Amino acid sequence: MSFNRNVSVILLLPLALAACTPAAQLENTAAATQDQAGMETIESPESPQTEIKGRLVIYSGRSETLIQPVIDAFTAKYPDVEILLKAGSNSELANALIEERANPQADVFITTELFTVQSLAAQSIFQPYLPAGAEQLPAGFVGDQNLWTGLTRRARVIMYNSELVSPDEAPKSIFELADAKWSGQIAAAGSTNGSMQAQIAVLRQVIGEGATEGWLKDMIANQVTFFGGHTDVRKAVGAGEFKLGLVNHYYFYLQQAEGSPVGIVFPDQDEGQIGLITNATAAAVVNGGANAAAAQAFIDFLVSAEGQKLFAELNYEYPLLPNVRLREGVQPLDGFRLADVDVAKSAQEYEATFELMERVGLP
Amino acid sequence: MQLTQITRLTLPRWNAARTSPRLIMAAGLVALFVAVPLVYIFIRAVAAEPEAWQRLLQTRLWKLLGNTLILALAVTSGALATGVSMAWLTERTDLPGRGIFRWMLALPLAIPAYIGGIVHLSLLRPRGGFIPQALEAIFGQPVILPSPIGFWGAAFILTLFTYPYVYLLSSAAFRRLHASLEEAARTLGRTAWQTLWQVTLPALRPGLMAGALLVALDILAEYGTVALLRYETFSSAIFIQLSGRYDRSAASILSGVLVSLAIFILWAELRLQGRARFTQVESNWRPAPPVSLGKWRLPALSLVLFVISASLLVPMAVLVIWSANSLLDPQALRAVFRTGTIGFGSFIWNSVWTSSLAAAAAVAFSLPVALLSVRHPGRISRFISRLCQVGYAIPGVVIALSLVLLVNRLLPFLYATPFVVVIAYVLRHMPQAVRSSESAFGQLSPSLEEAARNLGRTSVQTFFQVTLPLITPGLLAGGALVFLTSLKELPATLLLRPAGFDTLAVRVWIWAVDGFYMQAAPAALFLVLAAALPLSFLLRREQIFR
Repeated sequence: MSFNRNVSVILLLPLALAACTPAAQLENTAAATQDQAGMETIESPESPQTEIKGRLVIYSGRSETLIQPVIDAFTAKYPDVEILLKAGSNSELANALIEERANPQADVFITTELFTVQSLAAQSIFQPYLPAGAEQLPAGFVGDQNLWTGLTRRARVIMYNSELVSPDEAPKSIFELADAKWSGQIAAAGSTNGSMQAQIAVLRQVIGEGATEGWLKDMIANQVTFFGGHTDVRKAVGAGEFKLGLVNHYYFYLQQAEGSPVGIVFPDQDEGQIGLITNATAAAVVNGGANAAAAQAFIDFLVSAEGQKLFAELNYEYPLLPNVRLREGVQPLDGFRLADVDVAKSAQEYEATFELMERVGLP
Repeated sequence: MQLTQITRLTLPRWNAARTSPRLIMAAGLVALFVAVPLVYIFIRAVAAEPEAWQRLLQTRLWKLLGNTLILALAVTSGALATGVSMAWLTERTDLPGRGIFRWMLALPLAIPAYIGGIVHLSLLRPRGGFIPQALEAIFGQPVILPSPIGFWGAAFILTLFTYPYVYLLSSAAFRRLHASLEEAARTLGRTAWQTLWQVTLPALRPGLMAGALLVALDILAEYGTVALLRYETFSSAIFIQLSGRYDRSAASILSGVLVSLAIFILWAELRLQGRARFTQVESNWRPAPPVSLGKWRLPALSLVLFVISASLLVPMAVLVIWSANSLLDPQALRAVFRTGTIGFGSFIWNSVWTSSLAAAAAVAFSLPVALLSVRHPGRISRFISRLCQVGYAIPGVVIALSLVLLVNRLLPFLYATPFVVVIAYVLRHMPQAVRSSESAFGQLSPSLEEAARNLGRTSVQTFFQVTLPLITPGLLAGGALVFLTSLKELPATLLLRPAGFDTLAVRVWIWAVDGFYMQAAPAALFLVLAAALPLSFLLRREQIFR
């Protein structure tokens, strides 16, 4: 009877699994020790690309649509690497990395802001790696002891629906978003979004805890709609569902490219204002990951001119590698006054940022 | 009670006395497996720091409690009203087309509420939606329509996709009800309308209330729809805590409160279930004659058509149109037909094998529990059987939270494998398997087994040679139910899946949340069709449809 056979297969499956796993783990550790032994000699010029193969597990805080094209370009170059992607929020994946410390699953971690990598680096979640060409990155975009590497920058901007709001009317400061005249007309990302978290962490540092709390409370009182992510925000502003959106700069360009009537404000540029809040995406090699060689090759690729160009072209981001051109039409950051942020300090106070969001009840 | 007494009377004493210790042990192990995540969550909740409790009590706990209870109440009432009225119209009146409507009213069970929500949201979203934009184009100015976002939207959409539970229960009950009851009422001078309210509905009440409480449990566990429509309940708040915060104590506290609430509802449901068994079919049963609708025919017909359109026809039509569009759009087409771990084939395969394995495992685990509770009724067996039904009361997000923490500590080799997802399905959907298996055993007369024993078979031989073949159809029904609900499961899969492991449900959700409706549509359509297969098997088996 096929039913009985199915049952026996099901009953045997966990046994078989239990039987193979220790062996597989042994192999993994063996491979890891080999890798470490190999790392000392890795600088030798003959380390061939053909050795880069196998499964590469990537945890990405960048949403799938923003990382998949880059992964495709990488696998075109390294066809022997099979990439398994888990995309989620930075904190969800950081939680997983901490949880899995004794039993690491991921090889590479990518975030959309620097605070998470900074705090994970302090908890020895990563192993040091300085990718080829990383010495050209601007100062402050490679972690202490080379535990992480910056990839791109993005700016926090206000986008508006230009059929509903004229350029003159559009708010010039993020603090104007608390103005009652925009009540119910603003969309933003909620407390699970890494870029929003980072913006709050920066604000805490620049204007202080009390003022940041006041701003968040005013935003909530002003009936700002908080979405899970920015794609919803840009689409809603593009469709005219909301007049204003608080987003990363490239969401404006992505929505504009879809033909929507939208405008952009790089806020807080006047004398006495806080300046434009920017942040950076970063990548790191996970300590104890099964495939360090492929992880390193992947990060090399992200930092290379080829990888940086993909970020700039496909997603309108600001590449960190000098001499990689911005996509046409993107306003360069050089022209703006930037908010002054100490990443290391903000990272230390990241927990306080979460407590603040919890206290004000940010959705 | 009545049923247990009958079983006791017909059962020879020696059998009742000799409950095999092996059977008790097997059933006990299953109960233990089911109870561990629950106990663990309670421990975590109680052991959380007092400051975390205080912070939640001061801020969000009461609001969440209010939000969750009001939504559960609204949807349960909505589902009761819709389900009972649809059942009455299609079973007890001369409504034209009722034969086909019976099917169409049950089929929304194959559509996960979040997929229905995605469709309705994209149609009705204020200003951005298809209908508001079309109206604006026609009239030249914005037309204000009810918004699907928030409480009313969530209540409306969840009602649309949960009423079939009540509908199925009540149409079965309407059909079983003896004609003489209503005839007596009519001879005593009651109108048809009075008879319905004073005689028919009260007679059906226990079964209907049990169905309604199952709907309420479903609402407590619902994640996708409320997240989509931005109405915050316990489930969505826990999901946010899990995916957006480092601190797990708040998630544990919220889970502890939610599960306590759900256990209370489940307890009420179990009590009603016991009473519902009094409705028995008598031997001289005959169907009651249908009520003539008269001038109410047209309004009744439009009401049924509205329910069917909103819950089945419109979502399906939109999914088909979107799927067709995505086949025409090269970018979406490429995304849909990729190969490897992110290809369409792998989503289907992952959905099917995890749900099948969960169904097989849940049915296998339910056997000792059902055998014990039906053949050896008593305090222990009843306790074990009830314990195995707590899955109803543990929402997917809570199962995910406890499994993430438990598996990595106790079974690290299972961590980050799809088997954790399967375990979550088994835990969550075990009650359906236990109930189906119990009813399968209950319908089998113990005299058959006794005959086999008298002819010299051992208890194990008897089980495999006599009992199992006879109850297999009932077990398959339980398996189909577990398969169907596992296929639709979203939050636990989202939180527990390993890297590169996507199911149809996960894919639909990720794409739709990012706003790529066209891309999500083929997966959604496939998911609904895959769920419709076991559903139609179940519907046929229940002989609801002639």
